[in-house]
Amino acid sequence: MAGATARGGEGSRSFNMILFYVFLIGFVLVSIAPLIWIFKMSIVTRADLFASPAATLTAAPIAGSYETIFGDASFRRALLNSTIIAGVTTVICLFFGSLAAYSIARLRFSFKSSVMTLILAISFFPGVAIIAPLFLQFSAFGIIDTYVSVIIANTVFALPLTVWLLVAFFKELPKDLEEAAKIDGATTIQAFQKVIVPLAAPGVFTCAILTFIHAWNEFLFANTFLFTPATQPVTVVIPNFATTYTTDYGAQAAAAVVVTVPLVILVLIFQRRIVSGLTAGAVKG
Amino acid sequence: MATATQPQKKKRGGIIGEFKNPERRTAYLMVLPTLLIILTIAFFPILYAVVLSMTSSTVTGIGSFAGVSNYVAMFQNPAFIEGLYNTVVFTVISVFFEFIIGLAIALAINRAFRGRGLVRAAVLVPWAFPTVISAVMWRLMFQDQVGVINYVANALGVISQPILSDRTLLLISAIGVDVWKTTPFMALLLLAGLQTIPGEVYEAAKVDGASVVQRFFSITMPLLKPALLVALLFRTLESYRVFDLFWAMSNRELESLSTFVYTGVRISQLQFAQGNAASVFIFLTAFLLALVFIKGFGMQTSTED
Amino acid sequence: MRRARRVGTGRAVGRRGFGAVSRRDFLRIGGVSLAGAALLGTAACGGGGGGPQTADDGSIVVVFSAAPDDSGSLTSLIEQFNEDRAGEIQIDYRQQPTDTGAYFDQLRTQFQAGGGDIALIGGDVIWPAQFAANGWISDLSDLFTEDMRSGFIEGPIESNTYDGSVFGVPWFTDAGVLHYRQDLLDDAGISEPPATWTELKEMASQIQEEAGTEWGYVFQGGNYEGGTVNGLEFINSFGGAVLNEDDVTQVTIDSPESVAGLEMARSMVDDEVSQQAVSTYTEEESEAAFLNGNAVFCRNWPYMYGLVGDPEASQIETEQVGVSALPAAEDGESVSGLGGWNFYVNAAVPQETQDAAWEFIQFMTDPEQQKFRALEGGFLPTLTDLYDDPEILDEVPVIALGGEALQRTVPRPVSPVYSDMSLQMAEQFNAVLNGNASPEEAITTLQENLQGIADQAPE
Repeated sequence: MAGATARGGEGSRSFNMILFYVFLIGFVLVSIAPLIWIFKMSIVTRADLFASPAATLTAAPIAGSYETIFGDASFRRALLNSTIIAGVTTVICLFFGSLAAYSIARLRFSFKSSVMTLILAISFFPGVAIIAPLFLQFSAFGIIDTYVSVIIANTVFALPLTVWLLVAFFKELPKDLEEAAKIDGATTIQAFQKVIVPLAAPGVFTCAILTFIHAWNEFLFANTFLFTPATQPVTVVIPNFATTYTTDYGAQAAAAVVVTVPLVILVLIFQRRIVSGLTAGAVKG
Repeated sequence: MATATQPQKKKRGGIIGEFKNPERRTAYLMVLPTLLIILTIAFFPILYAVVLSMTSSTVTGIGSFAGVSNYVAMFQNPAFIEGLYNTVVFTVISVFFEFIIGLAIALAINRAFRGRGLVRAAVLVPWAFPTVISAVMWRLMFQDQVGVINYVANALGVISQPILSDRTLLLISAIGVDVWKTTPFMALLLLAGLQTIPGEVYEAAKVDGASVVQRFFSITMPLLKPALLVALLFRTLESYRVFDLFWAMSNRELESLSTFVYTGVRISQLQFAQGNAASVFIFLTAFLLALVFIKGFGMQTSTED
Repeated sequence: MRRARRVGTGRAVGRRGFGAVSRRDFLRIGGVSLAGAALLGTAACGGGGGGPQTADDGSIVVVFSAAPDDSGSLTSLIEQFNEDRAGEIQIDYRQQPTDTGAYFDQLRTQFQAGGGDIALIGGDVIWPAQFAANGWISDLSDLFTEDMRSGFIEGPIESNTYDGSVFGVPWFTDAGVLHYRQDLLDDAGISEPPATWTELKEMASQIQEEAGTEWGYVFQGGNYEGGTVNGLEFINSFGGAVLNEDDVTQVTIDSPESVAGLEMARSMVDDEVSQQAVSTYTEEESEAAFLNGNAVFCRNWPYMYGLVGDPEASQIETEQVGVSALPAAEDGESVSGLGGWNFYVNAAVPQETQDAAWEFIQFMTDPEQQKFRALEGGFLPTLTDLYDDPEILDEVPVIALGGEALQRTVPRPVSPVYSDMSLQMAEQFNAVLNGNASPEEAITTLQENLQGIADQAPE
């Protein structure tokens, strides 16, 4: 629209361009300003953290907060926990999700739309509605406060996204290749393994990134089912990053930076894929 | 829910016939694990929650049948009413602003320009940031001693008391944070929708003398509707179950439906059953919302060709 | 285990350190075989049946759970005990979360699953009633005789007494105290810290006006457990009480005294002695305001005194700060909220193990070990005699300064449904500070809600 309205002389067009870029820069700044602020918080001394007005700096930046968190075994442990939980969730989701997605995208069977509806219904499902029953069941099975509990719960809520995205990707693949494979005598499963999986690798990869981010950021289930440092991921540990009495805001900020940096890098590198993945479902309608 | 655009023709022989066909059998086997996981981990527990909500259970033991008394108690509980009110206000206002601002941004950046990738990456950053951690971060910015926002708002005379000490200000802040976090995402979804609209349509309309506003309402909006509805539905339901943001940003001060459930089943010793009643309430209302979108607005969720 | 960065500040001041994961933990958490565990799953089996758990050398193993030991003083005492009692008793220290709620969850889950293998619990003072009401911890009345109890501070003993029996042995204690700015008081010509709340307000207002100090009085008014403690200190100091002393099922908070207590709390904000933000404050924010030199008076736990003068945390020096008992009502007595940790014995473990645990409790609460922990980690002792020990008074200045205030503590209501009561109290106390409820309204609401909760308590 902004482009379409740009009419008139050379001057007004370049003025419009300047306006457009000012708008863009403002937009980008608002998006990332809080992250810059939190980075600032992570490198100032405790005294400066509480200084008023908030923008003053009386001492040189320090790495103390980073030393604190990396010197802290519980934080390192939390990073490991997050990685395991998110990693295993991703693998499981991709495995089951790609099977289901292939079946829905490529094979013929009745009740297909009911199956898809059921899977998608999970995206409308409020996770908080099942924490109580799951807590009881996980306790009874003795898997409360283990990775398993959270991985199970995360998997259920990440699966719809996985299936949705993969269905879209699989549909875009040319159909003749599999048919050729089938004519050569391959079974459905073989055709899926040998032809579809390699071809869909980029799509599967995008899907893996999104699932990983989803599981990495999950808080509700982790906060409900995990209560010891041995199992808690960063999302649970950081808000409670505290001593018996007090919160260490500097360390909290540093920890926030540490857990976000990998995601930011991931996003920077794969922004095109992520966007296409995120919008795949929406624009297909 | 999803309306099949092309009703499948039932094969003669029903389900058994389905399994005689090797391709169909494989198809069922491939979707089965996913279905089982979803049924056992999501739908079975909700039934369990219904049962629990009609007993006097605690987290330490299943209690006797209590009829609807937990629901009655829940509706009389001021904390629940507050949670419901906050959730509805939060959902309506935050989704409204995310939609308006997101659409404006999408329209503005729907063209080729330098630095497009950078903009895309920048807008993804708030989205990729763990909500609970961004909530903690924003809390620090709202805090009265270290908080830059509280400082500025105070200096401008916008607020008469510290943000964190007032529930209305907290709710407004929560909406602000949510808009910050999800507007870019909304803009991306809508942008993707806009890019599917062919340019010729606009050219033709322009030739016919349609104004910018006319073109927007007669072309952009109708063609954008499918993408728009999907985006709105997902955002609405996501806002409706808000938990992380309220929990961490307000330090448990701001109640939502989800925090009410959590407090009941995980913090309190006595409100376990009432927490389950609230679980059932959230579940039913969330589905009602989804239904309104799908039936009421004629949204299509099926991916059938 | 590294030493606490802030030495002498009380307990667990370093960040929670989680060291190596035991083999058992690894097995427990390592089972990521999703479907199998989820669908088939085996119920965790309790450790109750059979004889006591023993080590290779035949000694009885006592699994002991406690919050992280940042000062290293606990670990060294356990080593000493294990050496002394080699072949008889072995203490197996299992570290728990610092966060008391998480630790509580952990224990509750184990108790529900049949008791678990933790024999001895080092736990929060607010737990015994709930544990005892469920029959999860052992009645120690016969072992921990009245004679022995007499040497301990009264508050912690009271917090361990449920239904006429004693369920815990006080390990170390904690108490709310008033930190004040000696230099500002001197400048204003005030010689003594305030004895009453009214005096505190007068002094604070005077200094705020003359010296321009931002805060007169800063305390913990947030909607959380600490807010409950602070609110109860106001109420108790005016003579109000939440529960009937003789019958804990009877809520008695609705009294003019309780209202007066909350009116005093509210007046701190109304008279601008405290800023409105106090209703969001926890220990952290209070500490920051005080240590940055922005407050005349601050209610906090004694740990804060240890931070004064630490250049990384504080802009004020040790000689600028004094510590005293919290103010009282006119012709009332000063009241400090009780904190601290006790020993509890899991009722589900075999008798031999319970006996062995009792041996260790005796060792740990012995004057010698308590003194060691006071000197090494700044933990406040639970034996009254130690408050006169010259070495302790010399090395741990806050004990000398706090003196009797540290021993005159009042526990939070001892009820098996305390945690639900606390949620209500924190909410209402906070509402008063926010101006969302008048003191009378809050007390009326509390009387009704707390009685409702008390009525649901297990028999």
